[in-house]
Amino acid sequence: MDLETNYDITATAQFIHTHNFTRVALQFPDNLLKDSTRVVSALRKSLRSLREFDATRGGDEKDVGLYVMADTAYGSCCVDEVGASHINADCVIHYGHTCFSSTTTLPAFSVFGKAPICVADCVESISKYALTNSKPIMVLFGLEYAHSIQQIRKALLEASMSCRDDLKSKVHFADVPSSVMFPSKDINKSNGLQELNGDFSNNACSDGANGTGYSIGGLTWKLPEGQSMEDYLLFWIGLDNSAFANVVLTYNACEIVRYDAAENRMLTDLSQQRRILKRRYYLVERAKDANIVGILVGTLGVAGYLHIINQMTELITGAGKKAYTLVMGKPNPAKLANFPECDVFVYVSCAQTALLDSKEYLAPVITPFEATIAFSRGSQWTGAYALDFRNLINKPRHEVEKQEEEEARFSFLQGGYVEDLDNEEIAEEERESLALVNATEKALQLRDNCNSLVKVGARSGAEFLANRSYQGLNMPNENTSPEPYIIGRQGRAAGYEDEKNNH
Amino acid sequence: MVKFTAEELRRIMDFKHNIRNMSVIAHVDHGKSTLTDSLVAAAGIIAQEVAGDVRMTDTRADEAERGITIKSTGISLYYEMSDESLKSFKGERNGNEYLINLIDSPGHVDFSSEVTAALRITDGALVVVDCVEGVCVQTETVLRQALGERIRPVLTVNKMDRCFLELQVDGEEAYQTFQRVIENANVIMATYEDPLLGDVMVYPEKGTVAFSAGLHGWAFTLTNFAKMYASKFGVDESKMMERLWGENFFDPATKKWTSKSTGSPTCKRGFVQFCYEPIKQIINTCMNDQKDKLWPMLTKLGVTMKSDEKELMGKALMKRVMQTWLPASSALLEMMIFHLPSPSTAQRYRVENLYEGPLDDQYAAAIRACDPEGPLMLYVSKMIPASDKGRFFAFGRVFSGKVSTGLKVRIMGPNYVPGEKKDLYVKSVQRTVIWMGKKQETVEDVPCGNTVALVGLDQFITKNATLTNEKETDAHPIRAMKFSVSPVVRVAVQCKVASDLPKLVEGLKRLAKSDPMVVCTIEESGEHIVAGAGELHLEICLKDLQDDFMGGAEIVKSDPVVSFRETVLERSCRTVMSKSPNKHNRLYMEARPMEDGLAEAIDEGKIGPRDDPKVRSKILSEEFGWDKDLAKKIWCFGPETLGPNMVVDMCKGVQYLNEIKDSVVAGFQWASKEGALAEENMRAICFEVCDVVLHADAIHRGGGQIIPTARRVFYASQLTAKPRLLEPVYLVEIQAPEQALGGIYSVLNQKRGHVFEEMQRPGTPLYNIKAYLPVIESFGFSSQLRAATSGQAFPQCVFDHWDMMSSDPLESGSQAAALVTDIRKRKGLKEQMTPLSEFEDKL
Repeated sequence: MDLETNYDITATAQFIHTHNFTRVALQFPDNLLKDSTRVVSALRKSLRSLREFDATRGGDEKDVGLYVMADTAYGSCCVDEVGASHINADCVIHYGHTCFSSTTTLPAFSVFGKAPICVADCVESISKYALTNSKPIMVLFGLEYAHSIQQIRKALLEASMSCRDDLKSKVHFADVPSSVMFPSKDINKSNGLQELNGDFSNNACSDGANGTGYSIGGLTWKLPEGQSMEDYLLFWIGLDNSAFANVVLTYNACEIVRYDAAENRMLTDLSQQRRILKRRYYLVERAKDANIVGILVGTLGVAGYLHIINQMTELITGAGKKAYTLVMGKPNPAKLANFPECDVFVYVSCAQTALLDSKEYLAPVITPFEATIAFSRGSQWTGAYALDFRNLINKPRHEVEKQEEEEARFSFLQGGYVEDLDNEEIAEEERESLALVNATEKALQLRDNCNSLVKVGARSGAEFLANRSYQGLNMPNENTSPEPYIIGRQGRAAGYEDEKNNH
Repeated sequence: MVKFTAEELRRIMDFKHNIRNMSVIAHVDHGKSTLTDSLVAAAGIIAQEVAGDVRMTDTRADEAERGITIKSTGISLYYEMSDESLKSFKGERNGNEYLINLIDSPGHVDFSSEVTAALRITDGALVVVDCVEGVCVQTETVLRQALGERIRPVLTVNKMDRCFLELQVDGEEAYQTFQRVIENANVIMATYEDPLLGDVMVYPEKGTVAFSAGLHGWAFTLTNFAKMYASKFGVDESKMMERLWGENFFDPATKKWTSKSTGSPTCKRGFVQFCYEPIKQIINTCMNDQKDKLWPMLTKLGVTMKSDEKELMGKALMKRVMQTWLPASSALLEMMIFHLPSPSTAQRYRVENLYEGPLDDQYAAAIRACDPEGPLMLYVSKMIPASDKGRFFAFGRVFSGKVSTGLKVRIMGPNYVPGEKKDLYVKSVQRTVIWMGKKQETVEDVPCGNTVALVGLDQFITKNATLTNEKETDAHPIRAMKFSVSPVVRVAVQCKVASDLPKLVEGLKRLAKSDPMVVCTIEESGEHIVAGAGELHLEICLKDLQDDFMGGAEIVKSDPVVSFRETVLERSCRTVMSKSPNKHNRLYMEARPMEDGLAEAIDEGKIGPRDDPKVRSKILSEEFGWDKDLAKKIWCFGPETLGPNMVVDMCKGVQYLNEIKDSVVAGFQWASKEGALAEENMRAICFEVCDVVLHADAIHRGGGQIIPTARRVFYASQLTAKPRLLEPVYLVEIQAPEQALGGIYSVLNQKRGHVFEEMQRPGTPLYNIKAYLPVIESFGFSSQLRAATSGQAFPQCVFDHWDMMSSDPLESGSQAAALVTDIRKRKGLKEQMTPLSEFEDKL
């Protein structure tokens, strides 16, 4: 496939031209960066021809600035608005895999790319699957296959002519309504494509007589009144990527099969995906035992991220835990291990980067949705799952009533009741009691810190530091006379000179 | 026929000298519950006639069905002594009324945690031994446990009826059997020399051994007979008792006592002549319906029968006559009252075992004195499901002070540390209840020395806790119980219908409460795990979970899963090195196995992270041959900061080393919890930090660089030190007749078990076999054994130790490698182990 079609040059140029954007940021993921120069020149050419066409009709002459952005600080599936604002861009063209998280300030145009697919084989798989099952089928797909969905649809229609079963009424397709995205000013009343994201229950919203609309990662579809997603089988065309994981987790009650277009085969065994959900359940249980929670901000673009950070902070302090907010692009185990005091991290990011495989991490990383379950008393894991944090914003807050007869929390990690620490209570107490009394009390306490090798769970960062054996340089040095100089190590970090002899 | 009311009972509760708290302990099927029932019958809760047929103490349907006790049951009994019988009682007392708080406990080893819980709140124990089977495995186990808790035992030789009816043994033979039983028990007790507790051995001639037939409801001690004969021989009662046991013979022809058998046919042992034969005679007469002979004999013994009872025939008549003549309740209860300590006596020496805090503070003093006016100290030993669904009674013992309805108490959980707020609640008691089998009576308050059930605290106590008054903030908790079994068998449970998950969660919570031993946790993979002591224990727990705690919602359980441990066989073949992600820091390390016995010492708490370093290094250098200085360089224990693995600093003169210590420790806690082979806990590995190279800038040697690197280097050193798996092994004890031995051996062979001791029980045709059996092979072992020996062999399995599997898990195709693959598959990990090259870096 040539560059022109693969990168949708004409449509992109058209978009830029009709909206009269003058400074345009082109955002490439790392794997497509190699094509960027060719895309830019093709785009420039295309824009010039459009402008010339306009100029002949007497439009004003303007030069469009095209800027290539590489190396995003956060997930490459989201529109990097911060990066774009460095060059005062008034629109972003996003290439490659996208999560369709709505933007805050800039309009964006997404180019999905076009992955090759064997239509005939795919259609055969769908019809075979449809014939062996009685339930209706909903076909969802990776956006890189959006270009051939029309073809598949048509081919399927033809196939159903020859076949006695009425495939048309059984097989439904999701749509990609638009690849253009305008910033949503009000997160609670988002417009256009995003309006469907409003309600919590399975990303669905009632649309009156037309039935229920669903939307996930740029795909939308509608179900007739009275039907829910559980009544459908899901057929996914595409790779086993984060978009697919998102679908599996969100519709975990549905049976899902995946058609791998790269290998032309259908995969029905998705137990690995199911395991993820159970694993998330474990992480929620583990988060319940945490004392210190780090709110990890992994996006500065997705609409409503500030709102959700505030909501999380409130939730965590309300649960008697300490919250620290950290901004970190592309978290990895080494980065997070720099904060060993955090027992759990809540990762605020777009829906498709939200799942971090936590095996390598010292502390688990959970999503805001999971945090809501873990930190609000009385809420239960029901199986319903949402990755997109925007679903949480409108959710009525679960009010925890502090009752006298409230039951202690049962921790499944420790197999018994544990008491949740109440930071507010502690703070209150400290304020009430006399500082002097406090100090003397502490002075007389038996301290076995220096001998004990046991570390008690800390309640705050300061307490954690106090428990560390090394707390930084000791300023009042006992020895005031200058140390004699010694000869240090020589060589490079890859292997100092003294090491080479030994090993 | 309730002889007492709650008010009456409450009144006696104040007489701390007249209270006896005791548990009934024995091997399975030696007749604890039946015997207890005859005591309950005497205390008047159920009618005398049905005692022996209905087991009052087994309150659960499955207990009745299986004929075994599963949960321990507490009952308060009331007994009034006559002045005459109290004549020789030396201790303190208030009047003649006695209150006996009795706990019947299960005999099956899987439920021995119930016994532990019962022992904690009692001061004395009635050890029941089957006169034919003798002292069995579990008898020994529980007896040792009791003595460890400073519980004074008395013995009853039970199932006497079998001697007379089933086996028809003659007097001398019976005496020898009884003598041996008592001796065996004394052998165990003799090892517990305790100056405070005094002599704990039992002697028939001192009245601390009873002979009973629980099923028929009769029993006697030598005191009964001594009383009868003392006047006849014109000797003192105690003198008479001595003559009735041991090498004392009487010849009615010469009317002389001798210390040796004279050989004349009429010369018989005192016990045989005066105790055994008369009973035998009465029983035979009854069984043969020789009523004309019977009535004069009974008149001579001073036994009067009601007219309707005279109509009875055969066995029923015999039962009735024996119950009237030698009622089990009075013999046993009198023995307890005479020889078991009252709370005030027992707490004087038990305080050391009980109280964790300093023994000279006011709480220790109050416990020691059993002071009802002192501060409240109450230990909740178990939770008992109440009739209203989902709620529990907190059952325990008041050691000092009083607990009353509406009192605000401090609840100190098992993880409470004095001075901190962890695991501490302040709540008020809704109701105080005294627990009497099937009946519960609410009372205003309960003073120290008694057992009590509390309502309204169950939402804050998982299994056990110490309660004090709200204000007593400086009280230390009562020491946690130490169990003889551990939860090694685990199953994963999930609900059949996914939407039942909240029910399952709630159910598991309740299950965890209802049993002292069961542990409900969650795995990394998100599966709920129920762990129990054995197969039977788990079976009962899961049944409870489904039927009682989840309201019948269906659950699916996995096959039993056994957890393994990872260890190393040798020192690492080379010093391994890992680089930090930024390549600027390098850690060099070696792993080596710990010295024999060191891991066990850590398990037992002999060596631990909280020790004084000087004491620790002394033990390590003296017992395990460590270098004295090295012993002071232990960085940490793990997993969970107290497990049996260590990191030791072997570096010399390294800069910034103290800076990375916390990071290495964090990496170690993580790595030792999930070993490199199959993410099982590590065990008995000592890691030596040989050298470190660190970046000169602090920012480049932070936790982020060091923690993941430390984890990798731990794994690398584990993998280079010949890693091995450890599997849990049961100690199996089997008692069986000779002809069953073949079957036992063949079943054990099939299951990779090996016998290390085979001993004939002296004087019986029974053999005692001790063997080691891998836990993983133990599923279905009982039933197979039963099939192979036509039901003659009964095994008892207790977790004993971790055993190294000899095969190399790194060698593909070996047994250990297959096992590792299985575990990894179950845990949802990659089936292939991560290779060493992923963990180790080259310079």
